[in-house]
Amino acid sequence: MKEVVAIVRMNKMNQTKKALTDAGIAAFFAHEAWGRGKGLVNSIVAAGAAQGYQEAAEVLGSKGKLFAKRMITVVVPDDKVSGVVDAIMSVNKTGQAGDGKIFVLPLYDSVRVRTGETGNCAIE
Amino acid sequence: MSLIMIRSVVRPEKADDVMAALMDAGFPAATKLAVAGRGKQRGIKIGEVTYDEIPKVQIMTVVSELDKDYVIKTIVDAARTGGKGNFGDGKIFVSPVDEMYTISSGVKETDLSSIGEARP
Repeated sequence: MKEVVAIVRMNKMNQTKKALTDAGIAAFFAHEAWGRGKGLVNSIVAAGAAQGYQEAAEVLGSKGKLFAKRMITVVVPDDKVSGVVDAIMSVNKTGQAGDGKIFVLPLYDSVRVRTGETGNCAIE
Repeated sequence: MSLIMIRSVVRPEKADDVMAALMDAGFPAATKLAVAGRGKQRGIKIGEVTYDEIPKVQIMTVVSELDKDYVIKTIVDAARTGGKGNFGDGKIFVSPVDEMYTISSGVKETDLSSIGEARP
């Protein structure tokens, strides 16, 4: 059992939902999140820009800012991981920085609260 | 070399300090989520009312296993209040990551320099 955590653009959510449904995975969580990528900036410059100094803002550009993102969490059996990754990748890929990341984490167990089932049958 | 996801739950007023400390330490990539929860003090009791859904911020970052201790120390130093710390300063959870993909290029990442590395 794996937990797939994907951070994607907000305006791609409808397409992502459709792609996941088409791939046979209907269940997922979505969270509102703010994130930044690999652009390194000086935190003093970033603090100056936040206080409204024009020079600092010009140096900073779009780096170091937090962007509104959606974080999707999908829990799937091991054999469906590649399907989920492909589905998310296919609709979210624009080729530009800021498309997001996908992480695959191991998960020990899951329980369906309604019936008390555990393991893979709880998520199928 | 394996990947590690570090999820830290910190005070909302300390979140900006932690994000700045991570940036200075050479780990710019991070995701911030608003969460609510309680710890082992069972919330805060003020008079007759118990507040057990205390707002916190969860900061999620993925780093190389080699940088784990350094990143955790950076977060702890930035998130602690006062000299010795107080109840409610938060927790840090560490879990393994099997795979990581960058959506814009579509590649499975093996070179961890794309998510930052410790500055000497």
